Amino acid sequence: MRVAIAEDSILLREGLARLLGDAGLDVVAQCGDGDDLLLKVRSYRPDVAIVDIRLPPTHNDEGLRAALEIRDRHPSVGVLILSQYVELGLALKLLAESAEGVGYLLKDRIIDVDEFVGAVRRVANGGSALDPIIVSTLLSRQRPGDPLARLTPREREVLELMAGGSSNQGIADALVITLRAVEKYVSSIFAKLGVPSTGGESKRVHAVLTFLRS
Amino acid sequence: MAAVAEAPALRTASAAAPRAAVVSAVALAGCAAAALAVVLLLRANPPGAGPRAALVGWITLAYVICGAIAWVGRPDTRFGPLLVAAGIAPVLSTLSIVEAGIPYTIGEALRLLPLAVFLHLFLAYPSGRLGGGLERNVVAAAYAAAVGLQLVRMALGGFGPGNLVEIVERTAPGPALRGLQVVALSGLMLAGTGVLLHRRRGSGPPLRLTRELLVDCFAAALVMMAVALVFTALDGPATEPLRWVTFGLIGLAPVAFVFGLLGARLARTAVGELFVELHADPVSADLRDALARALGDPSLELAYWLPDFAMYVDSQGRPVETPTEGPRGLTVIHLEGEPVAALLHDSTLGEEPALLEAVTAAAAIALQNARLHAELRARLEELRGSRARVLEAGQAERKRLERNLHDGAQQRLIALSLELSVLGERLRTDPEARARLERAQAEIALSLRELRDVARGLHPAVVSAHGLEVALEQVTALAAVPVRLSVRVGERLPEQLEVAAFYLVAEALANIGKHAQATVAIVDVIRTGGRLSVEIVDDGVGAADTEAGTGLRGLADRVEALGGRLRIWSPRGGGTRVRAEIPCG
Repeated sequence: MRVAIAEDSILLREGLARLLGDAGLDVVAQCGDGDDLLLKVRSYRPDVAIVDIRLPPTHNDEGLRAALEIRDRHPSVGVLILSQYVELGLALKLLAESAEGVGYLLKDRIIDVDEFVGAVRRVANGGSALDPIIVSTLLSRQRPGDPLARLTPREREVLELMAGGSSNQGIADALVITLRAVEKYVSSIFAKLGVPSTGGESKRVHAVLTFLRS
Repeated sequence: MAAVAEAPALRTASAAAPRAAVVSAVALAGCAAAALAVVLLLRANPPGAGPRAALVGWITLAYVICGAIAWVGRPDTRFGPLLVAAGIAPVLSTLSIVEAGIPYTIGEALRLLPLAVFLHLFLAYPSGRLGGGLERNVVAAAYAAAVGLQLVRMALGGFGPGNLVEIVERTAPGPALRGLQVVALSGLMLAGTGVLLHRRRGSGPPLRLTRELLVDCFAAALVMMAVALVFTALDGPATEPLRWVTFGLIGLAPVAFVFGLLGARLARTAVGELFVELHADPVSADLRDALARALGDPSLELAYWLPDFAMYVDSQGRPVETPTEGPRGLTVIHLEGEPVAALLHDSTLGEEPALLEAVTAAAAIALQNARLHAELRARLEELRGSRARVLEAGQAERKRLERNLHDGAQQRLIALSLELSVLGERLRTDPEARARLERAQAEIALSLRELRDVARGLHPAVVSAHGLEVALEQVTALAAVPVRLSVRVGERLPEQLEVAAFYLVAEALANIGKHAQATVAIVDVIRTGGRLSVEIVDDGVGAADTEAGTGLRGLADRVEALGGRLRIWSPRGGGTRVRAEIPCG
């Protein structure tokens, strides 16, 4: 599995590369800014690019723009955005069309190495990884006649993991239940929310997000 | 700070008015002189005596009467007496028709005097005083050529037996002297024309119509006088008609002058209207327009004196430069001995001190009012500027701190935690050490969360980096009530403005969560024209305490420092509406 990293702090970039290398991933490119990243993504065709949202020269939105450009030009390359702040508005911008091969995590999440490497692999494989803060923000949003109130606490847990991008197996592992039980919960949730369960795991993050946002 | 001349109105207040008796006597003498000239001409009956008598009579009467009027009406100028003198001069030169004795000698000696007097008169308009050294020299030379050279010529004889000043009979240099006289006088006339035209072009807009007419008339008369002089000397063709035209033009001048006086009278009735206008609306923003109308000077500018700032400002409180010289005149208006305001006007208005005085007297109270308004605005402007600067400096500093936290402490802590993870891999065999390591990592995670909260409190980085629309998604999603958000701002706005709008929405939504008991809120951010309007409406209990909510008070400061306005409507039981309007260029 091939990885490109764009991060302007050398300390962090090196640490990240070593961490991913230790986990058995192949770090093919390390970049200090967005232009360099675009160039190397075109040359090396990694499976996933890990991008700091604040990159030189202005440290405003260069990282985000580079990420959106990779999504646009190289749809097969997964993009995982790392940020000091996670913002719903940015998540919506990133996942506007689809959640496939997109991740958006708080930088702190690197610390939990296993979780983080799992998220990188998921995004590289065309899945999603959405920070728990985004998910909880969406779930806490007030809605008139809140349909989420109809969910059982267990269903709510499953929904949170689902929205974060976890696969059924991932949910089963996290909640220590059987895969079969997860599937039952998922179809129950979709039925209660009135969301058509469209196809596989890769599409449902987008469906759930679209529902939660409205 | 420019030095300021005193108002002409004040300077002329002490000018003594001429006695009516003196002026009437002069007028009567002028009429008698005109009559004398007519009688002399008709009795001698040279060719063309009738028309010539009529012209001389007309010129003398017109100039003397106009002179008397001007003398009374404008006692501060010397133009009146000069007009009278110009009326008398043709009579004196007519005396030569008698052909004998003292009258003949006087008449011959002063034959060309009218040329010099008219030149003097035209150049001295309108004050009756000659301006610079050039004008004085031209006029003095004209007198010397017209009278001095004439006396020299007469002393050398050739003027017949009636000439009492003949010393020797030497006719040889006669023609040469005459030629010199003609060339000198016509040259001086043309020089005078040049001075007039230059003055007309240099006095700047707007020249008032009557003055323009007069100056044109004078210039034409001077040219005609020069031409007539040369033609007469050369015995050229059509000498007689040329002279008629010249005298005709000279005769027109007093008519134009009387029109000028009438114009001033009309302007003075405008002062009456000004009174009515100012009485109806004493703090009218149209004070300048009203004064401009009354003074007949569309270029009029008003400047208010601010003693504390020691400068002049316009009605909006912005500094105004006051001229010390050039085509613009400056009149300072005093009230109770203190300067209140200054009128920057066309310099020709300086010739009508009575009008200026009347207008400024009528407007003094209104001007004092307007000055206080201007002073207030100047202070507000100053205050707004300093408030904006303080806010901007504070915000820049907070932004710098936020970035330092992000680029420094947070990155290092994460890198440190990664280092600990690597160490943890090596400590697989020592569960206790590994557990301590994990506790340390948990501490780091906590520190990172706290640091993030501090950084967010310092400056909303997401607003600066990604704009208002992106930033407001999170805030509205976290609000305690369902929020309908609509952001229509188009391109990015200045950072200060985006940050202010962001804080406003965040604070208003927080207040709704705390106090309003609302079921829904609407946030509308829209840019129309040059303004950003931010509106937050809820359907709660209303009666929001705008004073106790210090958060909102601080936001009002922020909005006002950006030149905007924050208003809050919160009727009991009727929900709350917070609306800010901020100019955004």
